[in-house]
Amino acid sequence: MKLSLIIFFFIIFISKNLYSDETSEWLKREIDIILEAYKNQNLSNENRFLLIEKTINNNFAGTGIAKFVAGEAWKKSDKSTKQIYIDNFKRHLALNIASMMQGYSDQTYKLTKSKYDSKNQVTLIDMEIFSDTGSVVVTWRVKESKDRFYIIDLIVADISLVVTKRSEFNSMLKKVDNNLSKFNEVLFDQNLESYQKITE
Amino acid sequence: MSKKIIILFFLFFSLLSYKVIASDADQVNTDSEDFNTTTVEDEIYDPFEPVNRAIFSFNNVADRIVLEPIAKGYKKLPSPLQSGISNFLSNLRAPLVVVNQLLQGQGENAVQSSGRFIVNSSVGVFGLFDVAEKIGLEEKEEDYGQTLATWGVGDGFYIVLPLFGPSNLRDTSGLILTMMTDPINAYAVSEGEAWLVPMRTAVNAVDTRSQIIDEVNALRDNSVDYYAAVRSSYYQNRKAAINNVDDSELTPLPLISIEFE
Repeated sequence: MKLSLIIFFFIIFISKNLYSDETSEWLKREIDIILEAYKNQNLSNENRFLLIEKTINNNFAGTGIAKFVAGEAWKKSDKSTKQIYIDNFKRHLALNIASMMQGYSDQTYKLTKSKYDSKNQVTLIDMEIFSDTGSVVVTWRVKESKDRFYIIDLIVADISLVVTKRSEFNSMLKKVDNNLSKFNEVLFDQNLESYQKITE
Repeated sequence: MSKKIIILFFLFFSLLSYKVIASDADQVNTDSEDFNTTTVEDEIYDPFEPVNRAIFSFNNVADRIVLEPIAKGYKKLPSPLQSGISNFLSNLRAPLVVVNQLLQGQGENAVQSSGRFIVNSSVGVFGLFDVAEKIGLEEKEEDYGQTLATWGVGDGFYIVLPLFGPSNLRDTSGLILTMMTDPINAYAVSEGEAWLVPMRTAVNAVDTRSQIIDEVNALRDNSVDYYAAVRSSYYQNRKAAINNVDDSELTPLPLISIEFE
């Protein structure tokens, strides 16, 4: 009886670790696609951003995050406004991440720790980025749905990208009476400005 | 003697006012009806937001005109020099870190930080080299704001300090206590070298800013409300520092639905 219990727990432990490893391997592949885009000097800034945007949209739970950060305004809006907002948000997310990567200059990185949080069904993957003056740890939160993985959050220096975006969006949404349609205009203008900066 | 009385009075007044103001701050709750969430706190108690936004704009201009260009220049210095300056400044903070660790009952960490200070000040040539890290004495930061939080003092309201940036009532008191009790600053003043105090603060600011140039620019260039983004980042970062979170799994987990991706 004892032996069966031990075997049972051993199998659970092993399967969780295998799951985390699989998630890490997937994440590494996707990060490398983005980093390769930065290394490739033949790419124009526009094409580099488009490649990064495509990779981010494929791998982030963009719609879910968009809904989460919109908060109260989401419920009040009609379907077409929501769709415009999702498109705007996905571009906004890509611009944010691409902008963070602007200073990338061949730093090395290593996925240092991977842990499956069974309570929330989320895998946490720590990535350490090394530079000449030290290192910084970035944590990715990854969830599985329909046999594939989605990134649901990115944490840098204990600051969650999603939580920060929600706070920022809520503050701006209050100014437009939680009108998602009006907010779409603000977000569109911001995206345009950010896009110009990143591609100039 | 009179200085001691002022400090005691200041501490007493601060603790008393926290109890009142912190309770207000704690009453700001997330509306559970509005969206899917776990324990994410959306509301930050910011009753002086218009004033804070004005100071924030001033700081932002000062950063663009003065701090950021200097930090970018500093970043061009040879890496060993940057590391040396950073290590030296960090070592100067160590005595107060030890004090705060003791005040928080972290005896083991206090011993470790004391060891770091002794090793780095001697073998590490006045703290220029972080020899202690190599022998397993890890750096841990603690300040008066964290100590007050550990003692149960609430955040109080959010404040943007001119030049010093985001803070709250508790952390501002912590900052004042740091200025008043820092032994290195006290020594410099007693030796008639008071100019070293603002100089140290300025170099600290440049060193810290140089480490987050890309992050700050990304946030500033891509935020629909930069003020709110910085405010949220500040609170998340401080919360993790107070809880001594080494692991991001303790950062609030947003409930993101991915069923309709």
